Amino acid sequence: MRPDERKGVVAARRDQFPVGMRVLAVDDDPVCLKVLETLLLRCQYHVSTTNQAAIALKMLRENRDMFDLVISDVHMPDMDGFKLLELVGLEMDLPVIMLSVNGETKTVMKGITHGACDYLLKPVRIEELRNIWQHVVRRKFSTRDRANLDIYEECNKPSNADSDHAHGHVTCGSPDQSGRPSKKRKEYYSEEEDEGEEDNTQETDDPSAPKKPRVVWSVELHRKFVAAVNQLGIDKAVPKRILELMNVEKLTRENVASHLQKYRLYLKRLSAVASQQVSIVAALGGRDPFLHMGAFEGLQGYQAFTSSTSLSSFTPHGLINSPRNNPAAFGTQRVSASKSIQTVTGGHALNHSICDANKYHLSSPGNQQGNLGQGMATSLGQTQMQPKWIQEETDDLSTIFSGNGLANSGMSATLQGVTSSPLLPQELVECTQVKVGSQPSVLTPSVSSGHLEGTVGVSSSLLDPRVSQQTTIPLSEFSASGLPIHGLFNNSCATKLGATSSASTPVHPSDDLLVARDTKAGASSFGSTMLLPPDTEQKYLNFGGGNSFKHKFDERTADSLFDLKFVWSSGLSSQSASNIGAHHSISQRWNNSSSNNSNIGARMIGQPSSSASTVAPHAKSDFLISGDMLVPKNASDLSVPKLQSELSSSSCSFDGLLNSIIKVEKDDVSFSDDLGCSDFYSLGACI
Amino acid sequence: MAAAALREQLNALLSSMFSQGLVDEQFQQLQMLQDEGGTPGFVAEVVTLFCDDAERIIAEIATLLEQPIVNFDKVDAYVHQLKGSSASVGAQKVKFTCMQFRQLCQEKSRDGCLMALAVVRNDFYDLRNKFQTMLQLEQQILAYDPKQQ
Repeated sequence: MRPDERKGVVAARRDQFPVGMRVLAVDDDPVCLKVLETLLLRCQYHVSTTNQAAIALKMLRENRDMFDLVISDVHMPDMDGFKLLELVGLEMDLPVIMLSVNGETKTVMKGITHGACDYLLKPVRIEELRNIWQHVVRRKFSTRDRANLDIYEECNKPSNADSDHAHGHVTCGSPDQSGRPSKKRKEYYSEEEDEGEEDNTQETDDPSAPKKPRVVWSVELHRKFVAAVNQLGIDKAVPKRILELMNVEKLTRENVASHLQKYRLYLKRLSAVASQQVSIVAALGGRDPFLHMGAFEGLQGYQAFTSSTSLSSFTPHGLINSPRNNPAAFGTQRVSASKSIQTVTGGHALNHSICDANKYHLSSPGNQQGNLGQGMATSLGQTQMQPKWIQEETDDLSTIFSGNGLANSGMSATLQGVTSSPLLPQELVECTQVKVGSQPSVLTPSVSSGHLEGTVGVSSSLLDPRVSQQTTIPLSEFSASGLPIHGLFNNSCATKLGATSSASTPVHPSDDLLVARDTKAGASSFGSTMLLPPDTEQKYLNFGGGNSFKHKFDERTADSLFDLKFVWSSGLSSQSASNIGAHHSISQRWNNSSSNNSNIGARMIGQPSSSASTVAPHAKSDFLISGDMLVPKNASDLSVPKLQSELSSSSCSFDGLLNSIIKVEKDDVSFSDDLGCSDFYSLGACI
Repeated sequence: MAAAALREQLNALLSSMFSQGLVDEQFQQLQMLQDEGGTPGFVAEVVTLFCDDAERIIAEIATLLEQPIVNFDKVDAYVHQLKGSSASVGAQKVKFTCMQFRQLCQEKSRDGCLMALAVVRNDFYDLRNKFQTMLQLEQQILAYDPKQQ
């Protein structure tokens, strides 16, 4: 007889079960509580009462063996009755009876689904209370059976790494999972046993045996979890310890273990992004000198971008995050850039940090911005655009943008937007050429907004596909390619662009851009300028957008894009070419084509080859921060965007890029004027 | 005997309360609990608890309804609580009034709620008076005859 068994465990009064059954009554209404208590006493139960659920839980946790049954009101001020019901069921596996004035079916249903073994209506009648002991008995019965089974399973499970370790790997699940190391189970089981002894001595702990209800990792629960993990140190955090620290009764080690596993994965992803960002930021930091260039701003954006990209790298867009930020930074004049970056960052939490950095950087170049100002203007526009994008999660764009961004500085904004949302690119295109780059494909088109529009606009869409594909920050390629587009790109750009994926130097674009920037920031168009060459831009866009860009972009792209931009601009203005490397060629071309600095972006590209080297030198070096990217980036950046677009699509449609570049160049002239900066940016703003 | 007279009075009071629907079976149960279970003063205790609690709740509701923006959810929660209390004690009329009150809460009508509150308050005061009389009578009876309860 079960009661007999219990007897062994509990007091002698148990002999007359249900007489002497220990009930805990919880109700905030003093009248009800009093009545209930009296009724229960009349039934010869042992009663404890409390009007607060918290106290009830405390009492239950202190000694599980203290009670057999819990009766709880549904509506209570400090805790929902259902919640208490769940907790009690999970932690202590005690039968719980719900009580309420409300007898609506749905409420009763809720009670049952939450695990209540019965639902009584107020006012409670004594007759009903006389029968509640059946729930206790029933539970013991089933528990016992389950326990037996569980024990069996556990014993047979292959012993595995000790639970602690295993926990991390093993996903919690029902105890019955075969995958679970038996050890864990055993440990768990034994744990349970100790804890859940209350009713059955020999039984395996009730709680452990039966399948535990799924644990919902609420915010607070997760918070506790994270706190525990942090306290232990992520490396040393083992489920068992975490569980202890969390001190949540209902939680099982398995639950914690599986959650920990997920959490670890999540952290890994974060760190990857973070590292990218860091690199980007670092890269940007290096550029500071460039910043002066104004073009720097773009870089800054990159940094932000990169960081963001790094962050975003996670995202397929990868670039998106950073690029966006960067573009903002880049394109827009320092200030704007920062803003944009911010905006970008806004989108990306990570970016924030970057933005700050960017902003910072940007501001420094501030002076230079003057020059870039124009270009920056665009960037500002971009910023404006960016916000839009950013919001849109122009992550992609950003990446692209970063690559392109520089070209479009203004566009970058767009790019950013673009990156994130293909739509953006279009916007970008519309807004300003800048857009071109940002969106994986879209952006570039945007760039053309001014000039690019013609060419770029479309590219955005094109870019998208490309961009996305390129995870490696197509931009960089773009940058490289971007530049080449002009023909110069071929150098590095070509590769870049074509292969958006050629991540080889995704950064390049940025570099170029940056370079361009440096050189001349003046070429405000720089930001987007690069991209501007409408065609190129588009391509670049892909470039930026091209996922490839993204990745690379993260770190470099941001820079490179920026660089590119700069490059472009610089190229334009001064041939900054140091170009970013391959891009310079493009920038050069750009420059050629567009005498205006505004075109700088594009110019830069043309320049890239020549200027890139020159221009880039500052920027480039800085740009390069990202590493590969920047290098010729300047030129390439610009071209890259276009390249990107093209590249993305065609692994190396360099020719295409070139064409686009060329086109861009042509447009440059017009574009450059427009782009001059405001245009681009305005475009961005349009976004 | 005075005690008998008192008891008669008490019974009359109780039956009128029942017939008027002020109290219901639950109250009878409580009385039985007291009588059979040998827990003297149980009813008095419960009734007193109820009166105090209901008073508090009604005051809270009144305060809530005076706010410029009424938080009907809170009001509803209080009404619900009052309903539970009155049900437990057997205060039938108050319980019904509470149910109506809840309906008005759903409609989110301040005026409606104010009216319902007035009704509840009236019913409650009425009941409380009766309870107090009842308790007094009981006490007096006790004074006469302690064993009798």
